[in-house]
Amino acid sequence: MKHVRPLVVLATLCCIGLPALAQQGEPGWAKGRPKTDVALQMAPIPAFPIPTAPDKLPTSKFKLPPGFKVETWASRVLDARGLREGAKGNVFVSSLFVANKVYVIPEQGNHQPKVIIDKMPMATGIEFHNGSLFLATNTKIMRYDNVEDRLDNLGEPQVLYDKLPGGNDHSWKYLRIRDNKLYYAIGAPCNICDPGPYAKIYRMNLDGTNIETIASGVRNTVGFDFDPKTGDLWFTDNGRDWLSEELPNDELNHVTKPGQQHFGYPFCHQGSIPDPEFGWGKSCDDYVKPAALLGQHSASLGLTFYRGKMFPAKYQGAMFIARHGPWNRTKKYADISVAWPDGKGGARIETFMSGFVENNNYLGRPVDFLVLKDGSMLVSDDHAGAIYRISYGQ
Amino acid sequence: MTKWAAGLLFCALVVMALALRVVSPQIAGQQKTPAAPALGSGPEATANAPAATSYALTGMSYAQRYAILCATCHGANGRNETPLTPVLAGPVLAGQPSLYVITQLFLFREGRRSNEAMTTVAKTLTDDDLQGFSDFIATLPPVPPPPPAIPPDPIRMARGQALAEQHKCLFCHGAGLGGGQQVPLIGGQHEDYLEESLRGFHSGSRPGYTPAMTAAMSQVPPEDLDPLVYYVARFRGPAEPVTGM
Repeated sequence: MKHVRPLVVLATLCCIGLPALAQQGEPGWAKGRPKTDVALQMAPIPAFPIPTAPDKLPTSKFKLPPGFKVETWASRVLDARGLREGAKGNVFVSSLFVANKVYVIPEQGNHQPKVIIDKMPMATGIEFHNGSLFLATNTKIMRYDNVEDRLDNLGEPQVLYDKLPGGNDHSWKYLRIRDNKLYYAIGAPCNICDPGPYAKIYRMNLDGTNIETIASGVRNTVGFDFDPKTGDLWFTDNGRDWLSEELPNDELNHVTKPGQQHFGYPFCHQGSIPDPEFGWGKSCDDYVKPAALLGQHSASLGLTFYRGKMFPAKYQGAMFIARHGPWNRTKKYADISVAWPDGKGGARIETFMSGFVENNNYLGRPVDFLVLKDGSMLVSDDHAGAIYRISYGQ
Repeated sequence: MTKWAAGLLFCALVVMALALRVVSPQIAGQQKTPAAPALGSGPEATANAPAATSYALTGMSYAQRYAILCATCHGANGRNETPLTPVLAGPVLAGQPSLYVITQLFLFREGRRSNEAMTTVAKTLTDDDLQGFSDFIATLPPVPPPPPAIPPDPIRMARGQALAEQHKCLFCHGAGLGGGQQVPLIGGQHEDYLEESLRGFHSGSRPGYTPAMTAAMSQVPPEDLDPLVYYVARFRGPAEPVTGM
């Protein structure tokens, strides 16, 4: 693996501050928005401030392939985002803009969420490793040790890294640990702009040292995982907004040469569309093409390889992908999709669970997955503030 | 005098909030904390004997509860212009979208948006109450401000309009500054409230439900705040098209 220079540029940029990259008087997400009445009515949809009551959840409306069933595993979990499992029967749940919390939910009992971290804005990136809970906000990465024995009082975390650039656009985190390396991304600080040292996937040692670039040209990945067969990293990437209602697609990408590949942003979208502004003088052929397209403005978030044994053989080794659903598209959709590496660098995709949208309104929006030890799979829903459990058979 | 009156009204408001908390089984049944002991009945008494104390307030609609709990500061029609208690002329609620209202009630209840009176009230509200009050408030039609005592200064209005366009206020708040979804109506809002809000967003002390307003204001020079406030408070409708450039 090629080692790339540390984040000197990024650290410098932190000193200057994010506003240097922001547009005058305009949130980053609004950059490139057409001046039509319909487009001007669209803005990112925050999670609703009240979790849906258990009897109003859309659980009974979900549709799955034959033999699968879905039930409500936990409710009243405001802003439920990331899911990770401890070693002693606990599920950790993170949040994004609304709750500012991390919850723990014991797998035994009635699945009542308990707040273990509070008043922590963008407490979104979580990972569990060797008894410790890793937490990344938009500004720093922390580690809470021996966490499952101290759920009543986690104590002060060890700060591993406090030089993340902060800001709002695409600054929240998704974490994975593999071979004692912590993987995270720094998303583009805008809808579309020259991202400088942003828009990359990085990894670091578990003590916060030795930062390396893993992939470039990544606008905003909120889900990635390693293929258990090959060890390769696969990630979802959210495409730019406002190009049109139908373009571009979000991408499913496959890293085959860590540190050496550029996936196109901001020059080329979905492997085939040069950006109307930044694409001049560039060719899409110079960037890695997506393994699959994930739908127009689909907001593809969590990605998890299914490592359990409960689901039929067809799904073992497949990737589950949470399509959270578009905010900047008139017609809404959301689902859980499943993708299989085709062995030739690409992937084929089909819908796995639908029923999140009714009358063009979201009833729920899937975010992240967790495969439990019994092989069943949890799905978080930040819109409804719930966690569902998908199982097969019985 | 003003502060004294404000204090008195605030006390009255708190008492009403506590009273609602005790007598309404809908609220009491979902409260996690015990009801106020000062009113002489513990939580068990409240739960077991709601009929004894609920003669006035159970089964009340959110319109009725708004009239008791909110109208003193915010006005029965959602716009309070009471000149004797300017400190209590709460922001204009008439015309605010339901989603905006519920996000702000949530921030008050969580203690993130700081205002003593509002947090005191919001902490007594259940999730259903947040929804009920927000839905009711969204039914209050916009109320235009009364004719100004002093006509707006056309030079300051033109300056404010230019700044509102330059800083893209209309992008989210709309050409009529009427808001929608999670974005509030701001045209004709009370000037002191606009001033406090813009300064709060500018300094970072006022949290939004999303970071959008903080991000937008981070780019606005401080000297532009007063002209914006002056213009938005006196705003009467979408600007006439500019011609003859």
